[in-house]
Amino acid sequence: MASLSSSTHCCSSSSAYSNSSSLWSDQHHYYISNLEFSAISPKNPGSKKISLQSKGRLSLNAILMQDGAIATTATTVENEAPTKKSKDGLLSASPPEEHKEPIGFDVNNDQSTVSITVVGASGDLARKKIFPALFALYYEDCLPEHFSIFGYARSKMTDAELRNMVSKTLTCRIDKRENCGEKMEQFLKRCFYHSGQYDSKEDFVEIDKKLKEHEAGRVSNRLFYLSIPPNIFIDAVRCASVSASSANGWTRVIVEKPFGRDSESSAALTRSLKQYLLEDQIFRIDHYLGKELVENLSVLRFSNLIFEPLWSRQYIRNVQFIFSEDFGTEGRGGYFDNYGIIRDIMQNHLLQILALFAMETPVSLDAEDIRNEKVKVLRSMRTLSMDDVVIGQYKSHTKGGITYPAYTDDKTVPNDSLTPTFAAAALFIDNARWDGVPFLMKAGKALHDRRAEIRVQFRHVPGNLYNRNFGTDLDRATNELVIRVQPDEAIYLKINNKVPGLGMRLDRSNLNLLYKARYSKEIPDAYERLLLDAIEGERRLFIRSDELDAAWALFTPLLKELEDKRLIPEYYPYGSRGPVGAHYLAAKYNVKWGDLGVDE
Amino acid sequence: MAIQLSHFSSSSTALYSFDHKISCFSKWVTGIHFRRQLRNHFELKSTNGYPLNAVPMQDEGSVAKTLEEEVHFPESGEPNSMLSITVVGASGDLAKKKIFPALFALYYEDWLPENFVVYGYARTKMTDEELRNVISETLTCRIDRRENCQDKMEEFLKRCFYHSGQYNSEEHFLELNCKLKERESGKLSNRLFYLSIPPNIFVDVVKCASTKASSATGWTRVIVEKPFGRDSESSRELTKCLKQYLTEDQIFRIDHYLGKELVENLSVLRFSNLVFEPLWSRNYIRNVQFIFSEDFGTDGRGGYFDNYGIIRDIMQNHLLQILALFAMETPVSLNAEDIRNEKVKVLKSMMPLQLEDVVVGQYKGHNKGGKSYPGYIDDPTVPKDSVTPTFAAAALFINNARWDGVPFLMKAGKALHTKRAEIRVQFRHVPGNLYKRNFGTDLDKATNELVLRLQPDEAIYLKINNKVPGLGMRLDRSDLNLFYKTRYTREIPDAYERLLLDAIEGERRLFIRSDELDAAWALFTPLLKEIEENKIMPELYPYGSRGPVGAHYLAAKHNVRWGDLSGDD
Repeated sequence: MASLSSSTHCCSSSSAYSNSSSLWSDQHHYYISNLEFSAISPKNPGSKKISLQSKGRLSLNAILMQDGAIATTATTVENEAPTKKSKDGLLSASPPEEHKEPIGFDVNNDQSTVSITVVGASGDLARKKIFPALFALYYEDCLPEHFSIFGYARSKMTDAELRNMVSKTLTCRIDKRENCGEKMEQFLKRCFYHSGQYDSKEDFVEIDKKLKEHEAGRVSNRLFYLSIPPNIFIDAVRCASVSASSANGWTRVIVEKPFGRDSESSAALTRSLKQYLLEDQIFRIDHYLGKELVENLSVLRFSNLIFEPLWSRQYIRNVQFIFSEDFGTEGRGGYFDNYGIIRDIMQNHLLQILALFAMETPVSLDAEDIRNEKVKVLRSMRTLSMDDVVIGQYKSHTKGGITYPAYTDDKTVPNDSLTPTFAAAALFIDNARWDGVPFLMKAGKALHDRRAEIRVQFRHVPGNLYNRNFGTDLDRATNELVIRVQPDEAIYLKINNKVPGLGMRLDRSNLNLLYKARYSKEIPDAYERLLLDAIEGERRLFIRSDELDAAWALFTPLLKELEDKRLIPEYYPYGSRGPVGAHYLAAKYNVKWGDLGVDE
Repeated sequence: MAIQLSHFSSSSTALYSFDHKISCFSKWVTGIHFRRQLRNHFELKSTNGYPLNAVPMQDEGSVAKTLEEEVHFPESGEPNSMLSITVVGASGDLAKKKIFPALFALYYEDWLPENFVVYGYARTKMTDEELRNVISETLTCRIDRRENCQDKMEEFLKRCFYHSGQYNSEEHFLELNCKLKERESGKLSNRLFYLSIPPNIFVDVVKCASTKASSATGWTRVIVEKPFGRDSESSRELTKCLKQYLTEDQIFRIDHYLGKELVENLSVLRFSNLVFEPLWSRNYIRNVQFIFSEDFGTDGRGGYFDNYGIIRDIMQNHLLQILALFAMETPVSLNAEDIRNEKVKVLKSMMPLQLEDVVVGQYKGHNKGGKSYPGYIDDPTVPKDSVTPTFAAAALFINNARWDGVPFLMKAGKALHTKRAEIRVQFRHVPGNLYKRNFGTDLDKATNELVLRLQPDEAIYLKINNKVPGLGMRLDRSDLNLFYKTRYTREIPDAYERLLLDAIEGERRLFIRSDELDAAWALFTPLLKEIEENKIMPELYPYGSRGPVGAHYLAAKHNVRWGDLSGDD
């Protein structure tokens, strides 16, 4: 089966440093591709047919899979004998002409192609993240044999001009620079440009023609990456789906945040998207979920015996999700001012990580099983209330002769803007596992450092024999597990330890795992992982509509209140540790921020 | 009248600043101060009751509590008291290599009380000057603060004296007593005897020292080195003899493994961290391994060893002690008696070792890289037909609620491929592991493991399963590390320093109580008898190898894999 060879191909290269045939070498992609394959074919024998026939109405050829209903069966099938089973299923269930060119999945089939269309190709994100990520995937042999990349935007540009623009941001992996130049050239040869309006069906019909040309009769799989402002989302989706979706393969659309501004607008957006797309065609990207250590969170919890027994209110005192940037909006505050830090970071990135952190053990690692558990967490949470939130905005600050501007000094920001650039919040999950445990979030711009981390503070040891060594506040010497997502990925567990020497002095030491020291390979950018997953149809790291709804439901009343009452943010100097209000919020729940502790 | 001092009575209020150095003085100043007055009265009146001034304290420490309330010793830090440390067997190897350097290190770091003298006692005729010469060769200064080293050495050597005498001569000890008294010049006298002598003269020395040279006004304590007998009977006999002259709390049986930094830290790890104790039972721990290996043989010094063998030399004492500390229930307090009570309970819950749960080995000659390494019986001090084990592996079980069914494996050997001592805790596999397919068929190969490396290069690490960074989902084992060398720049004190200081301070936590010793021998004696009576042939293994393969089969029998030979270590 072609999908097998494709993923093996890709993964074996991505894991060049461990050529071992040992117990660790299960090939994830291989498993996933087969999983999906088997999930679809036997269960929906007619899906292909339906879409073919209904092309006019249901314009994108979609695999008819519900949010979670089929996933479970998929696992069982897959568990027994992945490759064989799916093949059998396919043979028996599909129309005869389809076994040669199976729908869906196998991206590396000689007979199938993947075209990736970056809508909004001239934008910042496309240049800085999407094209480089695609090149990295190509460089690591993770892309299927037949693929082409199309840039789509309004600017007039030739293919050569696009290539020129793209080539400036491509880089090669530090660890294997050979052939880099060559590879780049080959990659650029596969990049094309098509200029058109985002709301013009005709322009999309034209790109459809071009795509078809490149597909040259092979099974066509199409991925659209919408890297465009939210107000033109729907137009682009409509045009793409009606005029440029694949006739015989899959069509998927990656959508970037913002997914609305509140429950209503988000629901409206989803509704509109669903006019043209099915749930499983929509890939809502949250690039934090593609970060290495966020991926590793589930591995840590579920593949180690020592963490899961501690993962509850019985042992965990509080959990902190911290995001900070050491720069402000720097003249690009226009978009931000309309959203604010809560929408920009908390409601999506931090809340997603929280849900992954706190979820119950899923039935399997299947996308639907994981997302089902995440939704459960979100729905068990209390809606945020104003007393559990602190907001701030940075003001100008002069340090060492340099003056750093205030948020409202940004020319793209209204002078009277009250948009928070900092927020801290306490959240609670009212379920059996987490009742009463504060989950604290903190996110801010223009702070003293740049980091994203998860901190798990454990309770103090009941009846601690070493009490007297800890002074009066036992909670100051508790264990803490820190997962540093960026920069310098690391996991460390703070433990109390005897200071070597005569006498009995305790201090906190770390049991460390610094990724830099342990893994010499460059860690792939989150976009690489997510693009690859989208190509492979792995939905685990993308946000399902009901997840999004639940997430907005938690934040919408708060956001409304903030805006209706025009609450004044607490001002903090550019480059500082943020408003002190965050400390009082933490103190209210008997928590100390771990990132501002003395021993950090 | 000697009494146990209560420990960990810190007067410091700072969070982590429980500094022992401060506290050992401050407790004399604060906690004990008012009691001392009381005690001094008491003391002065009761001087001549016993030959050695000892509080009649029982093993179980029941009396200790009440006594502690009433009387307290002015410890050696008191300006009016004098501490004399007499190293009996001063010309021996241990004294030269370990005891004197440890005493100097304590002095160098200001741990010794203001007034102290060190006496060497042995049969060799020597002057004070000659002794000082001998000692000075082995003294070294802490790497981290070399200043004043020379000055300090000289000052230290000035406090060292020598007295030559027979080990069984009461007169000679009487002479020593006179010399000590002279040095004490009327101050309150506390005396510590360190017996660094062969076991056959233990009792003679104790008799002489206790009757003729014990302190009239302060405490007298005796540090005894292994071997504490060869089996239950001889050990009991030795204890009985010692107790004719000493009370339980005057006897400090040293096991220098208990003074190792990471063994000390074992209890800290368990009891001051929330994350370990919930896992510390049969529910989560699959097996525990205690591994000791040396990369050299007896090298011409096999005379003593051949009479004992590796089981007595390493297992029955060092490894078993560590096992007891590892497996004990949470003690009521960090008090010596509380901890030792818990250790005894562990030992008493264990089944005596069965021969089928033991593998013995002996190293044979081996040629490697053109170099030839001798077999054990090539050692001229060892009989040619010796079947003494130089390697042993054993599976032990603790039949209590916490540990029922968990194999505790021990392994100790000489002339192996590495030098190390470590504790390995292998956890069970994750029930219903979601990542099962990433682990192949043997789930137990990918379990978590906690390793405490006692030597060399002290370290703690926890093996965890982790995602290999990159696209795709590959798991491998990474370590959560704590390397002492990187974290702590200070030199780690030698075990002897800690133990000597503890003996001076009357801290008995790390010394072996008589009932502990009994219980330990009870586990091993039947096995040792059987091995010797049946002249069980050890499995021969090449010098410098990984030891007899029998150890693997023993482990396999209990469904264990030795962590140190697993390939990824």
